[in-house]
Amino acid sequence: MTIRRRLIPYWLLAPGALWLLLFFVIPMGFMAQQALESGALLTGGFTFTWEWSNFPDSLSGNSEQIVRSFYYAGAATILALLISYPLAYAIAQQSGRWRLLLLFAVIAPFFTTYLIRTIAWKTILADQSPVIDVLQYVHLLPDDGRVLATSGAVIAGLTYNFLPFMILPIYASIERLDMRLIEAARDLYASSTQAFLRVTLPMTAPGIVAGVLLTFIPAFGDYVNATILGGTHQNMIGNKIQSLFLVERDYPEAAALSFLMMALILAVVVVYIRLAGTEAFMGEEGERA
Amino acid sequence: MTTSQRLRILVAAALMLATAVLVAACGGDSGNGGGEVQVAQGGKPSGEVTISNWPGYIDPGKDGTAAEFEKTSGVDTTYIEDVTGNTQFFGKLQPQLERGDSGGRSLFVVTNWLAKQMYDLGYLQQIDHADLKTVFQNINPQFVDDETDPGRKFSIPWQGGLTGIWVNTSEAPEIRSLKDLFDPKYKGRVTVLDEMRDTVPLIMQMQGADPTNFTTEDWEKAIDFLKQEADSGQIRRFTDNSYTEDLTSGNAIASIGWSGDASLIGRDDVEWRKPTDGCDTFFDQMVIPVGAPNTAAALAFMNFVYRPEVQADISAYVNYVTPVDGVKEVLAKKDPELANDPLIFPPPSFTRGCSEDPNPPGSEQQQQDITEQFQDVVTG
Amino acid sequence: MRWLRRNALRIYAGLAVLYMLIPIVVIAVFSFAETPKDKLNFAISNGFTLEYWQHAFAIQELNDALRTSLELAALATVISTAIGTLMALALVRYDFFGRRASNLLIILPMATPEIVMGASLLSLFIFYSAPLGFTTLLIAHVMFCISFVVVVVRSRLIGFDRSLEEAARDLGATPVQTFRYVTLPLILPGVFAAALLAFALSIDDFVISNFNSGTTVTFPLYVFGVALRGIPVQVNAIATMLFMVTAVAILLVVWQQRRAERMASVKPEQEKTDVLASPARA
Repeated sequence: MTIRRRLIPYWLLAPGALWLLLFFVIPMGFMAQQALESGALLTGGFTFTWEWSNFPDSLSGNSEQIVRSFYYAGAATILALLISYPLAYAIAQQSGRWRLLLLFAVIAPFFTTYLIRTIAWKTILADQSPVIDVLQYVHLLPDDGRVLATSGAVIAGLTYNFLPFMILPIYASIERLDMRLIEAARDLYASSTQAFLRVTLPMTAPGIVAGVLLTFIPAFGDYVNATILGGTHQNMIGNKIQSLFLVERDYPEAAALSFLMMALILAVVVVYIRLAGTEAFMGEEGERA
Repeated sequence: MTTSQRLRILVAAALMLATAVLVAACGGDSGNGGGEVQVAQGGKPSGEVTISNWPGYIDPGKDGTAAEFEKTSGVDTTYIEDVTGNTQFFGKLQPQLERGDSGGRSLFVVTNWLAKQMYDLGYLQQIDHADLKTVFQNINPQFVDDETDPGRKFSIPWQGGLTGIWVNTSEAPEIRSLKDLFDPKYKGRVTVLDEMRDTVPLIMQMQGADPTNFTTEDWEKAIDFLKQEADSGQIRRFTDNSYTEDLTSGNAIASIGWSGDASLIGRDDVEWRKPTDGCDTFFDQMVIPVGAPNTAAALAFMNFVYRPEVQADISAYVNYVTPVDGVKEVLAKKDPELANDPLIFPPPSFTRGCSEDPNPPGSEQQQQDITEQFQDVVTG
Repeated sequence: MRWLRRNALRIYAGLAVLYMLIPIVVIAVFSFAETPKDKLNFAISNGFTLEYWQHAFAIQELNDALRTSLELAALATVISTAIGTLMALALVRYDFFGRRASNLLIILPMATPEIVMGASLLSLFIFYSAPLGFTTLLIAHVMFCISFVVVVVRSRLIGFDRSLEEAARDLGATPVQTFRYVTLPLILPGVFAAALLAFALSIDDFVISNFNSGTTVTFPLYVFGVALRGIPVQVNAIATMLFMVTAVAILLVVWQQRRAERMASVKPEQEKTDVLASPARA
């Protein structure tokens, strides 16, 4: 193989890798430096002291929020997956005109900004809204129950706000499904369920894996839904980091906690990819460059 | 994944991080700016100026105060409303102020306690009273002195207000004190501000502490109380100023909130009440940061808004407490109802005995501890 | 009953889309509600009015912020989609030294809390005395969009049938031609989906933009800012307008396409013209 050929992947990778190196990795370095500092802003500033204790310290004080974030993000991801898959499938089945329109409908809520969308939901789910009345009537809620300021509201908010992140990758994957394979399966006497489980699902696995990652990871660090739709005990780790950074001005702890969060998420991602199969995430081994 | 592949990833990640840390370490330590405090230069205003303020804190548009200032002084004025919150603003400006750079701003407005902290950190310039004749001619004697800036070395009042309780008079007309808020029959329908210096002083007063002399124990006792009420579900949530949404929709029948927020609440049966067992005032301040490009224009702006006619326009739009004398008389001609509103022109008796958005007592470290305790409850 | 079974998926899709659009309906409704100070309060206590629609562009700051956001999002989308697609190609097709590390690099930005990412990026810009404004915003937006683009495009590339490309090469096409005429059209739906996502991310970003915008105001920054003292009802009107304008634009584009097809009375070949036709056979 010629030298030129070997270099192709590097050329393709270069612009993105350079951008991320300059504008992500180096800022992470600043953050890492901060994570190892000690002191406080108002009492003489921060100094670099290899303060490794920031890491375990930040974990111990915030474990409740971390666990809660797992729970909320996890629940939202599963719900989003259940809602999105059939929708993505339906979109992929449509002809061009409807498909474009449907895809647009999926993205459209984003034109209204996160804050306004979530406040709209807050209005819809207000304690005295007709929606709540209905839920109480069918006994999904106790008579004096409410949805807002509970975990349910936060999870609902997360699910809604991250739906496009789940729908789009799954759609992209379903769209390239070769219908002839499904026809072949049916010809071989597979029922629709079997055809789905044995052919469609595995073939769209990369889309599912991508969707799950794109939903869970940012949802884990979210803080907006908890702020607007939650109450006093629905705070997620994102809220905690906001508080540490902006209000307490404890930059070292905020930075240390952020790294811990990233490490946790990476661990979850690695485990998930193992379970889902690495090909679904990284693709085949590819040409040896 | 084989062990050697795993090892390779780990090594790659470690290398990346190490390089990054080394590059960043060249940045040196962050900390106090140090050095001597600058005094803002006066002079004839000219050129251009950028002013940062809270949203909705000035009468806007082509006939608004900022435009008027531009016409009168000839200074090209850029007025931006990017102080979305004390902490947000501080968070994004701190790295620049640290290096003596204000991001192009010549003047901005933050609440008094933050102004004091910024001054202590060396982020603000001092102002010479000689440059502020109009200000000191017209400033309401009630507001000349401030705990956080005795002698007015670095801050000039912009607008202020009171923290009290908003009550839904249709559903809970009997709520008149802070203690009433915590009656179990209102469980889950009461909200409290997430701003420490507004909420905790009110609770401390409710618990009988002396507003002129809060002790650390007072603070801790109040914060414990709040934690209890949050755990039991009495407090629905700790809010920024979005409590107005909860009041409008009926989620909350009472909220600790600010006196000037009437226009944000979409119903007529919710009114602001000064609690019988405690009250708190806050005052936002104009300050000049280090590295401000056109301090002469900034000082001129300060003088400009202290003219009663100009301030009257601001007051009529913003509906908060004005620090300028003579505005009441100007407004009496245009809008007598406003002129008699005690929430805009509180008589001294109205604000006597109120706490003033105080910082926790003691050393900076003790203040930091109290802040952390409160934040633990808020982000529980 | 049979009709129900056959159309179950379509009915579900309709319901799901309705669910997605509920907030837009609410927002639209409240854009007609009269309020005392023209600030949003999500209550219908004073009746309805058209004034906010008539004066939708009355607030200069809103208009400026919106324009800034649209420009920013458009640019960020184009740049990040291009860069991200190239990266995805490299990561899926080739095995090279640093492949796994690069995969790690892609995931990390998504996993980083926005506030710390925004603040550290700010530190970087300040360290190098870069003036804060549109350019720094653009850099930041592209940065956080790349990862999402890569993940979406990659999921489309995986399992891609290379035989079509091999066939093209056998017929004498250069690698660039193969890419242009075979690969790109086939992955276009994935690239398009990624672009949509990038656009949505950029136009909606608050935290990172807040730190790195200097005195520039984007639409989310404007909204978060005025939320303190009351969101002008015009925001709702404009948001609804945006939605409707884009919907109508899409309808027009597609209607034009169908019309052109019918007039030419020639069915277009799937691969070449109609990107969004039935599933590609790849």
